[in-house]
Amino acid sequence: MSPLEFFFKNRTEILTLTGEHVWLVGVSMLLAAAVGLPLGMLLTRWPVGRRPILGAANVIQTVPSLALFGFLLPMPWLGARADRLAITALTLYALLPIIRNTYAGITGVDPAVREAARGMGMTDRQLLFHVELPLAWGVILAGVRVATVISVGIATIAAAIGAGGLGEFIFRGLAMVNNQLILAGAIPAALLALAADFVLGRLEGRLRVRA
Amino acid sequence: MTPDAPVIEFRAVSFELPSGPPLLSGVNLGIHRGETLVLLGRSGSGKTTALKLINRLLEPTAGSVQVEGRATQEWDPIVLRRRIGYVIQEVGLFPHFSVERNVGLVPWLERRPAAQVRARVRKLLELVGLDPDGFAARYPHQLSGGQRQRVGVARALAADPPLLLMDEPFGALDPITRVEMQREFRALQERLRKTVVFVTHDLSEALRLATRIALLEAGRLAGVYSPAEFLAAAEPAAAAYVAAFRPETNASQP
Amino acid sequence: MRLRWLLAAFLFLTGCTPDRGNTLIIGSKNFTEQVVLSELLAQHLENRTGLRVQRRFYLGGTYICHQSMLAGRIDLYPEYTGTALTAILKDRPQGGPRGVYERVRDEYARQFNLAVAEPLGFNNTFAIVIRGEDARRLNLRTISDVARYAPQWRAGFGYEFMERPDGFEGLARTYSLTFGSPPRIMDLGLLYRALLEGQVDLVAGNSTDGLIAARDLTILEDDKGYFPPYEAVPIVRAETLERHPAVRAALEELAGAISDEEMRRMNYAVDGEHRDVKDVAREFLQKKGLTTSAGNRSNSAGTSSTRRG
Repeated sequence: MSPLEFFFKNRTEILTLTGEHVWLVGVSMLLAAAVGLPLGMLLTRWPVGRRPILGAANVIQTVPSLALFGFLLPMPWLGARADRLAITALTLYALLPIIRNTYAGITGVDPAVREAARGMGMTDRQLLFHVELPLAWGVILAGVRVATVISVGIATIAAAIGAGGLGEFIFRGLAMVNNQLILAGAIPAALLALAADFVLGRLEGRLRVRA
Repeated sequence: MTPDAPVIEFRAVSFELPSGPPLLSGVNLGIHRGETLVLLGRSGSGKTTALKLINRLLEPTAGSVQVEGRATQEWDPIVLRRRIGYVIQEVGLFPHFSVERNVGLVPWLERRPAAQVRARVRKLLELVGLDPDGFAARYPHQLSGGQRQRVGVARALAADPPLLLMDEPFGALDPITRVEMQREFRALQERLRKTVVFVTHDLSEALRLATRIALLEAGRLAGVYSPAEFLAAAEPAAAAYVAAFRPETNASQP
Repeated sequence: MRLRWLLAAFLFLTGCTPDRGNTLIIGSKNFTEQVVLSELLAQHLENRTGLRVQRRFYLGGTYICHQSMLAGRIDLYPEYTGTALTAILKDRPQGGPRGVYERVRDEYARQFNLAVAEPLGFNNTFAIVIRGEDARRLNLRTISDVARYAPQWRAGFGYEFMERPDGFEGLARTYSLTFGSPPRIMDLGLLYRALLEGQVDLVAGNSTDGLIAARDLTILEDDKGYFPPYEAVPIVRAETLERHPAVRAALEELAGAISDEEMRRMNYAVDGEHRDVKDVAREFLQKKGLTTSAGNRSNSAGTSSTRRG
């Protein structure tokens, strides 16, 4: 059977697993953004926290993904369900790019703009929400984009701990020595990553402000 | 406050950073309503520092700066700054706001009704010589340097503040545009009669615009003069300035 | 604006799953017997209930299959009572095969809302296997007999056996087995080859491994009764049974249908003779008279509902 026939014959399963994959990545990206964006913003106002928080995020990133899954496995509530575990790990991995880019985006705003804003009597909150954030969106979104693409990749490993997703095809294909099955997982995963990169890249371009 | 008391007063003001020499020491200066006081000095003389002490972007390490009879530390900084127009050399327009939104910033922060703000913005753009229909919808990156600074001035005037602080506002412009802006500013000032504190290192600009010139040298106030007095001053720092700018001063019109 | 459109598309994609209405998904672990059992169950359910059955074999080990059940990604898979008791419920075996089965059935229903059907008929417990010639030469019949030779022998075990609480650790303690060097850990599929080639002297295989019958290998008797019973049972999601009541009747038909010897032979057919799993499963069902005469017929769903009662 040709790869194309294989894909067509198993399209339901491929779609289901792709859906699972998108779900894993989607939920963890939302969580990472919900935690990372405020943290990044906080760091611009609280420089003392920069070293510990960025440092912690950095350490998490250096832990190999499979090892991180393994570390979280014995945790009481998290480790009980594989999808909870996978989402937690994926969220942790997405944190560094998001926090770092939020921080860099905000601090990268033209100092003259910041000075004019303060001099005109904007409060710190008004400065953050009306000036710094809108101007930083492009950079922040770049961080989200990087994190998403990384997540799509790491989510394939989540199948190793039973969380599902396209990685399941890959692992099963490896166990059965079936290349078509492996491709059935690898190709959609790659396409997902490319799609995410493309869509978010376009969004980024539209939000970037011309100085 | 009595009518002829200074609007802004520096009382034995010093400012120094934790590491390093004082940027200002023992400055005593009074600025009167309606005058254009030019803070003149070389780079590092402390003139920008002095300016920033007025709208509390910086706070004195010794002495106090009084604005309208109250020390800056006693003012709510936001309220203080909204009463003071601020124009800087780099302009600092918000790149993501249209010209209209930029100019209308402070009234918008003060929650004025939208229609009122729009009308005011139109008036101000005309005031600074920009056609509202042509410019209101444009964005800063579409403007030339001179146009941007005009918008900057309009923005500073939007809430009709009694005080105006200007930090080398025309310094980044080409010489022809600069002279043009100076001339227009003088005309504007004659109409509006704001109290202006203007920082520059350029003597000819000072002579053109000032009602009084305060000379700063290495963080100290070397003296306060009218333009004519300055040219004839015996004070060595002033004389050095005049000597350095001699070719221009001969050709300048007070 | 654009953002709302993207959000809607995202929600749509994650929320909409293909209609599972008339499809059952059967999973299996990573080894031959599991695949044979699952294929057998799949064909039987197809025959009897007229539902479409999707096969997701080689999912991994016990943990992954269990997680997939909990998450609803599979409806059914074959488990062993001993494994369920020790690896999932983290409980200690007692009360003999029936006791273990009932405890698993009750706890799975209570904790996970999973139904455990009647055992399929064979007990795939761990088999401590040695070469036939060694058994004869040294007159070894039980695991206790082997304890004496352990220090000079090398053992080979799979990952799961090494890690499981009901695996090597307990065995070594119960029989005072101390091997000269640490046991070699290898893939299940390679254990017997290593044993036959002399790379190891003792392996922990499964009592229904096909190779045991086909080659000169001896299973040592578990005289101290260390290994818990591992009766094969189909585990189904309660939700699935509710949605498709015919499944329950179909599974009841298979209770006690497969003996140890029959399972061994099926395993050997696939592993040793390299026959197709589908053929092996079909032949077994035909032999037992469990297929309708023409194979899959959709009116078999009607048949099973009248058989219930």
